[in-house]
Amino acid sequence: MKHRALSVLSELDARGVQVAIGPFLVRVRSELTGVRDYLERFYVDFPIRTGDEGHFDVAVVGGRGVRRWVRPQASLVLNGVRPFLPLPAHLAGPSLEWGLNWCIGNNAHRYVAVHAAVVERGGRVLILPAPPSSGKSTLCAALISGEWRLFSDEFALIDPETGQLLPIPRPVALKERSIEIIRRRSPHVVFGPEAQDTEGSRFVHMRPPADSVRRASEEARPAWLIVPRFAAGRPTTFEPLPRARALMQLTDQSFNYNYLGRKGFMCLAELVRQCECYRLEYSDLDDVLALLDRVTAR
Amino acid sequence: MPRLDVAPDLQLLVRVLRDPLKLQALSPQQFGRVIDAADQLRLLGWLLAQADAHHAPHGCPGWLNDRVLTARARVGEYERAVRWEIDRLNRAFLGIGFPWILLKGAAYIAATLPPGRGRRVADVDVLVPREHLAEAEAALRKHGWEFGELDPYDTRYYREWMHELPPLIHGERRSVIDLHHAILPRTSRLHPSSAHLIEQSRVIEDSVRVLCPVHMVLHAAAHLFHDGEIAGAIRDVVDLDGLLRCFGREPGFWSDFIREARTLDLTRPAYYAVRYARRLLDTPIPPDVVSALAAAEPPPAVRWFMDVLVRTAVAGKSGRTSSAAGLALYVRSHWLRMPPLLLARHLLRKSVRRYPQ
Repeated sequence: MKHRALSVLSELDARGVQVAIGPFLVRVRSELTGVRDYLERFYVDFPIRTGDEGHFDVAVVGGRGVRRWVRPQASLVLNGVRPFLPLPAHLAGPSLEWGLNWCIGNNAHRYVAVHAAVVERGGRVLILPAPPSSGKSTLCAALISGEWRLFSDEFALIDPETGQLLPIPRPVALKERSIEIIRRRSPHVVFGPEAQDTEGSRFVHMRPPADSVRRASEEARPAWLIVPRFAAGRPTTFEPLPRARALMQLTDQSFNYNYLGRKGFMCLAELVRQCECYRLEYSDLDDVLALLDRVTAR
Repeated sequence: MPRLDVAPDLQLLVRVLRDPLKLQALSPQQFGRVIDAADQLRLLGWLLAQADAHHAPHGCPGWLNDRVLTARARVGEYERAVRWEIDRLNRAFLGIGFPWILLKGAAYIAATLPPGRGRRVADVDVLVPREHLAEAEAALRKHGWEFGELDPYDTRYYREWMHELPPLIHGERRSVIDLHHAILPRTSRLHPSSAHLIEQSRVIEDSVRVLCPVHMVLHAAAHLFHDGEIAGAIRDVVDLDGLLRCFGREPGFWSDFIREARTLDLTRPAYYAVRYARRLLDTPIPPDVVSALAAAEPPPAVRWFMDVLVRTAVAGKSGRTSSAAGLALYVRSHWLRMPPLLLARHLLRKSVRRYPQ
């Protein structure tokens, strides 16, 4: 299932390549073929060129000595720091995404970053802030298989100067049962090989829609803030969320609003003021998609 | 296959430390690497202050501009977090009836001294009179700080041999306080009087106190190369440089410095501080101070050994020689803390524990 070979990727184990991902220029280096295969599969629509600078310096390096052959490893080096233990080498490709998540959460304080899935339609943005395993990535994957444009399944990036949201479309990570659900709904989408993450959960990555990647510099205004929670077997419930509570959700899920001090807090408060805010509990994807269609069509 | 060069560029940072004007001549890529190296050595605040002073980077690409903004937000948060901890300490110690004194990083921030600018502080160090240690500990525990998990050896290490309690960690904020009753370990060969330090301390605001300028410098000197890491060694010298440049202009500072070094039995550390601040960062030191401290010079062999050690460690090269220098600094830092037999036992125990079954 190989895709168009990107000749520029031969620089991966030398000077490095620069991948433009939303507002970020990311320098990627690796001597591991897993990283090259991963970029060819998932980043084929992104602007890539050779270069040795950028917002983030992401390297995936192999083990030393015996670790090159016996149970080989891959280690992330992010701007010279190794924040994680080495991973098994077959996770080298996906580890790129985890490294990027770390970089954006820790090293991108020009923007306020909130843990959320974000999609856009008709110039209006829907933000789904939630902790892991609340079903936000599943919901996000289902929405972008329809008419919604992918901003991110991981980060709401808000520009505190303008209040606008910035797209950072990247591969969407699906876990456990969501994998089959989304595969069934989106047979034409490119998926990576299934693997187990460090916590033992099955996961796959899904290639971001080419149109979303092409429009990655088109920012948009926030319109809806919906806090989702997957609850197996329960009927869909949808109720207004008081703005003060919505703000607490956002600060809870924010990686860095405190780093921006007062400006960070005001930015999130302004975001909440501009949004219709709801709480959503769901188990049936079709049901919730129909509901979201109705709510956002108004 | 050539190995990728992924380590932070410490050599470049050391060049900038010695001559901050070099910041103007860095390429954007180099500037980014200096930010990384400075953050790793906890010198990001220093770097940004120098960048402002020298109007660098100038006309830089968008990504570098974003990185500088990020660095500014980061040091802003470092400082804010420490100020908040100091505020909480002030509340925990409200009406306590004995003085408590901030030391090192937290003190530099509280007193708005150059080394405090944008400083990342891992632990807030507090000095209290020994006879009130138990009360201070109780006050902190009442306000949410608690000891982490300790085995009996750790507890004994701290309670019997050290000059501080085991780290107190706040249950919610995870902030760490090291409560001291002295600035050097009980087992150390030097015993500066805590009572004298506390008596001469200065009020910053409310009940927040810091050491007087001369004692602050002498404390930094006593801790020079004490944490046994290369990163720490470089930062220690930068701290001393910042303090000496700031206080050295005040009338009477240098005569007090010599006098208090003698009173507190800290002439040897004062000698090293002056020697390496001058050598590495060209810190201005009056000639009569240098000659007054010559009496505290170590034997030639020891001096030569320290010179080589410091030069190697601070050269900022990564590799075998500098790890050897790092190890030597680590052993030396312990050598200063404990008598030889105790040290041998302690290092043996630490080396065994590094490889759990």
